[in-house]
Amino acid sequence: MARTDFGPPDYREMVPPIIKENYGDWKYHTVPRPGVLRHVSNSGAVLHSVRVASPRLVSSEWIHDICDIAEKYCDGYLRFTTRNNVEFLVADETKLEPLLAELDEKDYLIGGVGLSISNVVHTQGWIHCKSAVTDASGITKSIMDEMTGYFTGKQKVPARLRIAVACCVNMCGACHCSDIAIVGIHRTVPRINDEMASRICEIPTTVASCPTGAIRPNPKLKSVEINPEKCMMCGNCTVVCPAIKIMDPVNDGVSIWVGGKVSNARTAPMFSRLAIPFIPNEPPRWSTVTAAVKNLVEVWAANARDGERMGEWIGRIGWERFFKLADLPFTDKHIDDFTHAKTTFRSTTQFKF
Amino acid sequence: MSLVQVKGTQVELDEDGFLVDPEDWSEEMAAYFATVEEVADLTDNHWKVINYLRDYFKKFGVAPMIRKLCKDTGFSLKEIYELFPSGPAKGACKLAGLPKPTGCV
Ligand code: SF4
Ligand code: SF4
Repeated sequence: MARTDFGPPDYREMVPPIIKENYGDWKYHTVPRPGVLRHVSNSGAVLHSVRVASPRLVSSEWIHDICDIAEKYCDGYLRFTTRNNVEFLVADETKLEPLLAELDEKDYLIGGVGLSISNVVHTQGWIHCKSAVTDASGITKSIMDEMTGYFTGKQKVPARLRIAVACCVNMCGACHCSDIAIVGIHRTVPRINDEMASRICEIPTTVASCPTGAIRPNPKLKSVEINPEKCMMCGNCTVVCPAIKIMDPVNDGVSIWVGGKVSNARTAPMFSRLAIPFIPNEPPRWSTVTAAVKNLVEVWAANARDGERMGEWIGRIGWERFFKLADLPFTDKHIDDFTHAKTTFRSTTQFKF
Repeated sequence: MSLVQVKGTQVELDEDGFLVDPEDWSEEMAAYFATVEEVADLTDNHWKVINYLRDYFKKFGVAPMIRKLCKDTGFSLKEIYELFPSGPAKGACKLAGLPKPTGCV
């Protein structure tokens, strides 16, 4: 029998000695330059972590390359961050400058620390998921090409700004709680292959998968039927029943959401909300999407106060001014019409003309 | 898609080896699936689980929740895994001829 259920290796086996020795005993950290953190412990130990961008989806050659770099400057130690950046952990201060020089020379992007636009949390897209309405890696690359200056610290931002991409409304990742989120959406009612559904789909599960109650059983065909008036094209039924197809290359595309955050700093966490209902898929560069994201970053950066996240800024100025400043049309699509929609309506006479 | 010969008849399987048409299920089919899902001998305990899954699916149109399966058959999840090493979904449901599990599996 193969050995099973032994869990991941203990992280303590893989942290550098300097972290082991000063574990839970750090005094402070500073950011001496963009992308570099300097941690100082109570005992006076100094550790530098150098953060570089990663495309998340990488080859084993790439992994070998960062391992070689870590071997050379960090006694073989590195880590990945929760936004899939790489951090080289430098215990020997004399190796910091040579490491930075080699990273520069090899075109690794150093940055993503503190007030910056760090990596895009994203998903599988057309690389690997059958639900993908849009691609993830392609959009992420296109957006980050525009945001490189904000990543490396060449361009300043008033606060940190998180961008996330999810290729369908399952929203794997962080889209519902990011400053700017790109989410793939369908706009066509799904088609059912009744004969196939009768063979391979659990009918009650399929009926129960629909958030709007648009699906009911079709006992005659041992299949289901969809009320197009009630369907909002979420695609959930297609996840549980492979005989239901929703893909439509012409009407599929993305929506853009703004103002989410997860931290409790200054204000409570917020969900992101709809800013742009639909932009078509335009591979390989998604130029309309990237232009829209750039515009959102720029109006926020030009108008927000120091330390003010996207959602906090919108909260201060109000949504009507946000739509005006961002030069976005406000449409019927922006008005919530799901179960508890009422709580999102304005129940006050306070508003700006 | 692939075709297998079981007792002289050709049966169509999908890429994960599940039945394309549940009507193709037979006890011989279960015996064939046992060979691909690391079930050495089909014992009474195996048949208890298989028959339970088939009855449940016939009655309700869905596969039972794991908890329900364990409660009704009296087997713990550990015992189910001992009977069907690839688990209740990929193993037991396949042997019972139920549709392939869907969702974020
Ligand atoms: S967001 Fe949707 S399409 Fe993208 S990986 Fe998750 S389930 Fe798949
Ligand atoms: S796409 Fe969504 S709303 Fe439409 S029928 Fe399927 S589950 Fe219901």
